[in-house]
Amino acid sequence: MKRKLISGFAGAAVALALAACAGGVAHAANDATPAQQKRQMFLRGAELWPIYCNTCHNARPGGEFSPTEWNMILMHMRTQANLPPQDAKAILEYLKASR
Amino acid sequence: MRGLARWTVLAAAAIAAVAVAAAAMADDMTVSSGASDPGMTQERQIREIRQELKLLEQRVDQLENENDRLRKANAELQKNTQKLQTSTTEQISALQSKVAESPSPEDFLSAMDRFLGRYRVTLVGGAAGSFIYDRNSNINTFAFDMEPIILWQLSDKLLFEGTIEANLPAGGSADYQLPVADFQYFLNDYVELVMGIFDQPFGDWYEDQSPFWVNRFVTAPLPYNVNPLIPPTEIGVQLRGGFQWGQMGQVADYTVWSGNGPGYSNSSCTNNTPPSPLPTCTSTAFVGDTLVGVNNIKLNTHTPSFGGRFRIYPLPADSDWGRLELGVSTYDGKWANGLWMTSWGVDFNYFRDNLQTRGEWIESYRQMPAGLGADNRQGWYVQAGYFLTGLTLPFVPSAANEYIDKLEPLIRYSGINQRAAVLANIITTPEIGFTGSPALYAPHAREVALGLDYWLAPSIVWQNEFDLELPEAGGFYSDTGQPVGAYPNDRAFVSQFAVGF
Repeated sequence: MKRKLISGFAGAAVALALAACAGGVAHAANDATPAQQKRQMFLRGAELWPIYCNTCHNARPGGEFSPTEWNMILMHMRTQANLPPQDAKAILEYLKASR
Repeated sequence: MRGLARWTVLAAAAIAAVAVAAAAMADDMTVSSGASDPGMTQERQIREIRQELKLLEQRVDQLENENDRLRKANAELQKNTQKLQTSTTEQISALQSKVAESPSPEDFLSAMDRFLGRYRVTLVGGAAGSFIYDRNSNINTFAFDMEPIILWQLSDKLLFEGTIEANLPAGGSADYQLPVADFQYFLNDYVELVMGIFDQPFGDWYEDQSPFWVNRFVTAPLPYNVNPLIPPTEIGVQLRGGFQWGQMGQVADYTVWSGNGPGYSNSSCTNNTPPSPLPTCTSTAFVGDTLVGVNNIKLNTHTPSFGGRFRIYPLPADSDWGRLELGVSTYDGKWANGLWMTSWGVDFNYFRDNLQTRGEWIESYRQMPAGLGADNRQGWYVQAGYFLTGLTLPFVPSAANEYIDKLEPLIRYSGINQRAAVLANIITTPEIGFTGSPALYAPHAREVALGLDYWLAPSIVWQNEFDLELPEAGGFYSDTGQPVGAYPNDRAFVSQFAVGF
């Protein structure tokens, strides 16, 4: 019974992930120019940075690391906190641009 | 002007033609004065002259056209030359000004990246020096711990993470562990594969809350302290990812994994020093055995263990209700042939403005060999902290308010329930997350922790914790068979300076 529950739990997780893929594609549709998209990402990152980071620890400012280091740290944090892809990219854009 | 020239040429040609014709006529009259029809001859000559005039006219037109084309080409050439000169001057000027000014940080970093390569290694992690006082164990000591995390980006999708944990407990030599060493590969935006040794994805503690500067307290809550209910690390594979399901900030994430499974420190196995990850002798299991410590890596002779974790964040990012996280975790694995250890847990985390709270409930069931009964355990903790940022106390000097601004008072209550403890497992050597109190090993341990953190920077903190160990009587020592009476209540004080780098 327990195993069935766990299998069901894992299955539901994967199904949700797949459903989210479709949602992600819809989010990606954007007619803005590259410069406008970058600005939108920056603003989204500025809003999400304190929320996501403070969930576990104090949010660290962009100036603490170089852009290359932030690339690696955000990859690490995507794993550590399972950050959604578009939000991780927005936070990375914000951290690199706010240095 | 051009018309005048044309008419001049035509007139000259006509005069020349008339002269030639007149000469010809004179010749004709002289040579053939006796010709049959002089009028016909004249007409023919006039026709010829007209024809010649037409040819000359065409030639003049052709030359004029050619002249026009050349003039236009010349004008175009002059314009291009002018443009080129202007552009070259501007470029030289820009280059000269760029050479004159110092490079911007972005340019410098870009140049550094080009020089060093795009994918590199970086070092993050933390270090902590602490002072521990425990009244019951009569411990007064300093300790130091360091946990560097090596991140090596191998491509846009592949990252290696390695964590080395070094402790210098009082009265002992340095102790090293390898709690994390894995490859993290992003299969796509929503699925990531992790292979290697990883923090146990169960609850928020091992993965997210255990680093020195991240944990608001110095010690771990009881379910994750000296007698943990869940193995701290696992060797195996994970699939994990996160996704947005609603408005911005309304996200969920999942982790499913399989690994080698749990191991217990069997105290009666005397040929190895417990806690050893790989016992070298057959031993008797006891109810209340402690799980193997940091490196829960045993040889898998049973079914691989497996588990999952799911978290959801129901509140949108731009709401005024704060941030709420709800999580559920499972762990199932055989610790011996045919004997399962299964666990589940639920947890929450909520923060809004200066307030942060989190808590967890864990149930663990361990099947035991016949005759020993079940080894079931429960653990829980709930904690709250409040940053005094923005708080200005009246009648207090502004200089003092600046210090108060950086304080975070904390409180935590945690406990464990289990049938028995193993007397031989009780150690009092302080390690990180452990105050040294034997009361922590009681079958019904309870702890109230009061904390006061002083934040010098987002990742630099001076933490002070006062612990009240309040174990309840009950249970027994499974290795001696003695019942456990009331432990004396214990007090401990721990102070730690922690840095996240």
